[in-house]
Amino acid sequence: MGAKKTKSKQSSNGNRSRNGAFRSKLNTTDRRAYSIPDLRLEHPDLTVRQAIEKDKDGAEHVRYEVEGNLNAPVPPIRDSKYLDKKQCIEIYRYMLLNRKMEVALENLYKQGKVVGGVYFGLGQEACSCASAYALDQDDWFAPMIRNQGSPLVRGFRASDTMMQYMAKADSPTRGRDGTSHFGDIEKRNMVSPISMLGDLIPVLSGVALGARLQGRNLAVMTYIGDGGQSTGVTYEGINFAAVQNLGLVLFIESNLWAYSTPSEMQYRCKDLAERAIGYGIPGVIVDGTDACQVYDAARDAVERAHRGEGPTLIEAKMMRMKGHAIHDAAAYVPKPMLDFWKKRDPIARFENYLVKEKKWLIPKENAELIAEVERIIEEEREIAVTSPMPTPESAEGGVFCEDGCHEIKPKYGVPKVKRGTGSGPKQTEAAVHLR
Amino acid sequence: MQLTYLEAIRQGIWEEMDRDPSVFCLGEDIGIYGGAFKVTDGLIDRFGPERVIDTPIAESAIVGAAFGASLTGMRPVAEFQFMDFIGCAFNQISNMVAKTHYLWGAPAPLVLRGPSGGYVHGGPFHSQNPEMWFVHNPGLKVICPATPYDAKGLIKAAIRDNNPCIFFEHKYLYRRIKGEVPAEDYVVPIGKATIAREGRDISVITYAAMVHSALEAGEVLSQEGIDLEILDLRTVSPLDREAITQTVKKTNKVIILHEHSRTGGLAGEIAAIINEEAFDDLDGPIVRIAGLDSAIPFSPPQEEHYLPKVSDVVREARHLKGY
Repeated sequence: MGAKKTKSKQSSNGNRSRNGAFRSKLNTTDRRAYSIPDLRLEHPDLTVRQAIEKDKDGAEHVRYEVEGNLNAPVPPIRDSKYLDKKQCIEIYRYMLLNRKMEVALENLYKQGKVVGGVYFGLGQEACSCASAYALDQDDWFAPMIRNQGSPLVRGFRASDTMMQYMAKADSPTRGRDGTSHFGDIEKRNMVSPISMLGDLIPVLSGVALGARLQGRNLAVMTYIGDGGQSTGVTYEGINFAAVQNLGLVLFIESNLWAYSTPSEMQYRCKDLAERAIGYGIPGVIVDGTDACQVYDAARDAVERAHRGEGPTLIEAKMMRMKGHAIHDAAAYVPKPMLDFWKKRDPIARFENYLVKEKKWLIPKENAELIAEVERIIEEEREIAVTSPMPTPESAEGGVFCEDGCHEIKPKYGVPKVKRGTGSGPKQTEAAVHLR
Repeated sequence: MQLTYLEAIRQGIWEEMDRDPSVFCLGEDIGIYGGAFKVTDGLIDRFGPERVIDTPIAESAIVGAAFGASLTGMRPVAEFQFMDFIGCAFNQISNMVAKTHYLWGAPAPLVLRGPSGGYVHGGPFHSQNPEMWFVHNPGLKVICPATPYDAKGLIKAAIRDNNPCIFFEHKYLYRRIKGEVPAEDYVVPIGKATIAREGRDISVITYAAMVHSALEAGEVLSQEGIDLEILDLRTVSPLDREAITQTVKKTNKVIILHEHSRTGGLAGEIAAIINEEAFDDLDGPIVRIAGLDSAIPFSPPQEEHYLPKVSDVVREARHLKGY
């Protein structure tokens, strides 16, 4: 019957095999055989563009307008390949905690108790919580500003984030930074984000590199928006993970608005997951408002990372349902677009799935769960509010790690050292760049 | 044994990799090629490609990855092919690495090292001395050795330090300077200056290649009965305030000499320290000798004009002696 057919791979995966060695020759059957799996059950076709609008006095204004099928029905939740009833309810609970924590933050802001602004992940709770839920205990992650649910899943308390926003002495950074900018390299393996976008990507890749030198293939997860992915360091970080075959699990959260700029003005390709092809790594698209799709894609990527198969890029499509921060009313977002995505609220959809479709929660249990979450958030709010402000003098110190403040040693064990027989430089006086 | 400045750095990295399995190197062309200046030559054969990693040309990724690895308790040593390119990674260094311990208590034991400095006609993008970009970032240690002994002792100290260290190797010195380096293990403490030449009349506070210019000037001036004291800072951040104060109290006259441009340069900071600590001890104005406030030009006559010269030190010292 002719030449044997090799089993085609789901995607191109660089030119390295699992153990990091170079392949002896390019597998030509892989050429141009790229595919981007898409787990979504609907494919919204909305486009945003700038248009000129006249006001009642005839003055012209540039506005965004939306086009496409705005009346498409809301798709069902896709059954997970992996999640059972208990796990689904747990993720749902984290999503509720995430949202209700942000509602509490909004109220604290209105009461004048927050220093600065508040950032929200409204509409993105499924992406934050179900992704972090897919990590194993030893894996690492770093949230971005809209992933305030992820630290909750990893064992931080709502009061931690609340105290950060209120700049309290007991906040994880003891008042030195706000918002979701905190971390823990000992227990919860969370790298603190910085405000500059994309910089976490090489950092998380480096975490995976460090762990691999210590004999562990870890998954390292972080997030970037459709706006933030425009930065150069995003490219550098993903490419580094790709050539080094590191277990990066990168969520590109396509939430359609980068501050006030629509994704149409950030990139030209249809789906950002296509970028994976250019990096030579697998890419996949999920509905970011569907917790099961987010989890399944994340779990597959985490398992690839654990097997030493390298990075995965997951594009989660959804919409940022509030402004950039609390000061921003997001008046630039066309109202029909907001209404379209309101119907795709990740928590309402998941609640409907658990209560009505699966009947894994009876309405009474659901009401009890919601009440419990509200009670927890109220307790956490109380803890946060009663924490004192830091003393002025606490601004000092800690610039350097000194006087034994940290013991530094390889976290996963002393790296195995191979010693070659090389005994020194080959050619000390070799031609050099500049003499 | 007598080693060049470059061999001393290589030996320092080599010994630390031998001693501590958590030390590894990453950078552009550092493996089989051995680095653009051959500082890492031979390391890959000894320690293997896992610990001597050739990276893409992506400075932010190099620093980011080094930082990430350091969070797991590794001690990465990242090479910049030229320190001029460190600007490509500035955000990672300034906003991520430098602030991390202060903000959220995560130590970042990493070394960023590479060649800097002029006098080799490298042009505006291969001759810079960008140390001041980092002196202005609390949380970083900035090291600029002048001798083989200090280069080896300080690279070892930097690798063992629990903080991010930026290690500037002066490329003019790589193969021009030889010096005695002991065979046994030693470190040179970060943050401590040293007296490169003892003298009575005028203090020259300087570091890196300029130490050698100052020493040469010292020889010329000694013929005229002007006795220079030369303070080699070795570390430019944190500065050794005590050593600066002491030498000023001894000689009462100061020249501050550095290669990078004058405005916003280290001399301004040192002058301020002298003002705070030893104002009453001054018998003359604080003199600055520095590069011009421009990019470093390429053509040799222009470069020579831009950079401080031995004759500048001689001229300024003669003038200052008159006070």
